[in-house]
Amino acid sequence: MKLSRVLYAQHIGFMFKKHWLIQGKRVPIDTGLEQYLKDKGIQVEDALDFIKEPEVHERVDIIGPYERALPLDENHPNYKERPCYTLTNMNVLLEGISQAQVLTKTVIAEDKLPLRIEELAQLPAPKAVHEGVKKAILSANVFDCEQKKLPKIKDPERPAYNFTRILGITDRRRNQILTNKLMQLIEKSSDVDVTQSKYVLNDIECRTVFDKENELIQFKDVSNILVTSNKPLKHEIDDRDIPFIEIPDLYPIKHTVTLPKQHFYDEVSKYPISSNMLSKHPHTTWLHYNATEVKNLYEEPVTPIQVLGRSLTHTFTIASSFAKQLYGEDIKDLPEPVYVNCIQTDGQRYHFGVLELNTLNVSGTDGTKNVWFCKNDVKLYDSSRYLGGMPALENYNPAVYGYINAFYNC
Amino acid sequence: MLSIRGQRVFTKAKQLTLRRYAQVALTGENEYTETPNYPQIQDMALQARKLRKRQAVYEKIKKIDTIEEKQIALNMPRYYGWPCIMLSDDRFPYSAMPLVQFYTRTHFKSIETLPTAYSETSELADSIVNEIKSQVEDCIVMENISIRRSDDDQLEESQKEDNVAKNIVRQINRIITNNAADKVPHILPSQVDYDPRHEAFWFMGGSNVPDNVVNWRKQYAPLKDRLYEPIDRPVQYKGTPFLTVRNHLPLKPFVPYSEATNPEFKVEKFSYFPESVGYTVEFRHGTNIPGFWPGDLDEFGLLSFHGRGHILNRKESYGLQDNLEALHCQAMVASFGWLLAQANYQGFTSYNDITYPLSTQTVITNGHFISLYAYQLNTITMNIDMIDKNMKHNICFGTAPMKLFETIENSQVKGLNQDVLKMLVQFYLNTPEAREHEMKPYLGKDIQVIADIEDDNRRCWLEDRYKHLVSNRPKHNLLPEVYLWEKIYKIKHKTRFFEAKRRPFELGVNPYKRRLDEHLPPYIPKALRPYPKARKKFETTYYPEV
Repeated sequence: MKLSRVLYAQHIGFMFKKHWLIQGKRVPIDTGLEQYLKDKGIQVEDALDFIKEPEVHERVDIIGPYERALPLDENHPNYKERPCYTLTNMNVLLEGISQAQVLTKTVIAEDKLPLRIEELAQLPAPKAVHEGVKKAILSANVFDCEQKKLPKIKDPERPAYNFTRILGITDRRRNQILTNKLMQLIEKSSDVDVTQSKYVLNDIECRTVFDKENELIQFKDVSNILVTSNKPLKHEIDDRDIPFIEIPDLYPIKHTVTLPKQHFYDEVSKYPISSNMLSKHPHTTWLHYNATEVKNLYEEPVTPIQVLGRSLTHTFTIASSFAKQLYGEDIKDLPEPVYVNCIQTDGQRYHFGVLELNTLNVSGTDGTKNVWFCKNDVKLYDSSRYLGGMPALENYNPAVYGYINAFYNC
Repeated sequence: MLSIRGQRVFTKAKQLTLRRYAQVALTGENEYTETPNYPQIQDMALQARKLRKRQAVYEKIKKIDTIEEKQIALNMPRYYGWPCIMLSDDRFPYSAMPLVQFYTRTHFKSIETLPTAYSETSELADSIVNEIKSQVEDCIVMENISIRRSDDDQLEESQKEDNVAKNIVRQINRIITNNAADKVPHILPSQVDYDPRHEAFWFMGGSNVPDNVVNWRKQYAPLKDRLYEPIDRPVQYKGTPFLTVRNHLPLKPFVPYSEATNPEFKVEKFSYFPESVGYTVEFRHGTNIPGFWPGDLDEFGLLSFHGRGHILNRKESYGLQDNLEALHCQAMVASFGWLLAQANYQGFTSYNDITYPLSTQTVITNGHFISLYAYQLNTITMNIDMIDKNMKHNICFGTAPMKLFETIENSQVKGLNQDVLKMLVQFYLNTPEAREHEMKPYLGKDIQVIADIEDDNRRCWLEDRYKHLVSNRPKHNLLPEVYLWEKIYKIKHKTRFFEAKRRPFELGVNPYKRRLDEHLPPYIPKALRPYPKARKKFETTYYPEV
């Protein structure tokens, strides 16, 4: 006896599966009914006309653990007519640093950091500290026990081939471990007076909303580590001999390109620390570049220039939201510049920057401008991973620690 | 099933070829001794033979060189993993204390002040507390009031509480370590981990035999008298502390090791099913992970911080006393789990007991209430052979939850509890010390982790296999299962007796009783085999022999 017949008889799941297969292959048969009805003078209507309209279900209020959010459409109470171009830490600007320059009205001093930082960066650190940095790198890349799915491996030659999905440390976790351990190391090896005057926050959101040429723009950014201090950060800058990169003309591209429009937004900027606290002044902000999370709006891979643009917009977000908290929402030219340091990293490469925020009037290209000092693309190490079953750290670069330390201590 | 057959055929063929070349052993010259040297008379009773067989396995595991291979060896008997009783650090059923105490073999001692071992750091702690007092007050105000984090409405109360607690713990850790780094030398080289992965696995004897095991045994006549023979229940702990501090040296024990056998510390036996208390069983490979892979030198924990948001998820009817006990349970299971995983990295396993005590300190907090625990691990063998013989017990000293501060009024902290802060600082000041005895007696002399293995193929294979095993990723093929329709039409009512018997339960085979290495190794395609002629069709596997 055939096994299949028995299965049909009693195993209902199997029977349904087979039924689906058979029914799926059905071919409509012309029974001649339509013609017959027409001959009789009865009107025949296409069945598809009746199933076109999707059924609208009435919204049912379900009592759950929390109240359900209202649908985000025009009837929502917070819906605003005027769209707001929004940049978050998850997307990037199409033109990268040049577009960021236009949006924030900033000139760039490439490969120039304030003198005091350069001086501090040259100070040698004790050997124990460098050992600690190496430990931190290994701990972030090799010894941490996270085992989560890493991005799919694709071979451009054979795009349909499925490789084994590798489990390991995600870039978010790796950056989190590395930067926090570096931070702890720097604080432990700094003087108590310095650490007492500082405060360190993790994963904190800032938001700044501003008008540029009659368009509303907001930057929403998460600072992965924000170091604040009791006193405002000051840099003495001699900008006579610096060849600034002026604000470029983006034509034919508009400066709001790849900024999605949003109709739900808050019109007030937000700096996360309330103004009555002593240690509210932003000092250094750390920005993680997690390749799996930061995406272009149109799915192209993110370019190095776009990554550099993130530093500037991120620092601008923090500096301007702080300035607005300090001087009010409508301030244009600041009475005193606000300085904020920024370190962006993907774990391996480090981009250092210092923003001098002079104005919040970012329309046009004339008048007071903001200044961005930066030193980009410094590598902390070449590679750190399990190499043939052995933990490996190749080409550790001790100079980077000097800069990070200088940023903290300046 | 197919793959098993393939493997069996293969090994049998191998044995045949070996047998052909077997030779008679050469007789040695010193065969005779002056006095007769008889081998020990062995008990040939069934139970004794079984015991010897088990002990041989324990001995084999003890002799394995590397940490990772020992972990694979623990999992060798089960291809699909062990049915583990899952303990976690964030869910405690009602009245879990007797179970947790027995399963971690821990004597709990309620204290109000820290054990005497801490008295020597009292003065230093006082001065540090005076220096950091205002900073701690500031950070409490900052985290509770002054910082506006983007709040997620969809979080439950317990998650919100844990998030606040996590931030405060990070701040307090930052303040204390920054201040103490100049004063005590062990702070600077210590590593601080955020949200590490802690897992621990052990075998637990002493519980009643489950009904399904008894029913299975009833099928076979030889097992008629052995229906209630004790079995090991595998236990797996999984937890994620907020923050841990670890160092390359271990903490000193709180009480002398000789005290471990003190009958005062005896824990009452809990032989009921853990399922009846509210614990669940999950199929998985046993893993021992103290937050880092083998090879990291900072392998001894000093301090760990845990949240207590889960208390909010408990029913009100459980009462305050049970909530307090849940906190003690959390401390015991978290400390035991972490220390057991550390002990595994020293080469001890659930079968081979530790030869020296290990200790750790645990803090449970929600940012307002703090309870402090000091834990000393004296023994880790609780399997069926040791559960009644082993006289050692672990000890946990713990306080009730204490308020870190009274209230926050007008952005000012009122009534900061300096005594609690001092105890916390003393936890940080507890200095780890080098021990005089050997730390890793059961690991190899030169080869202690698989990274030390010289053979490239063996090292890479073991590394891959170990990481794959402990990831517990789902298998490509579905697990064997008796379908419901089979249960009705084939097992309960024999309505299909005329069909060919192909399914495992019809053949009397337990598909879960399959060893980890019972699978075909990866096939080497002909084109990739070494030139000129290689008959080796399958890649070599390097499973430990146990």
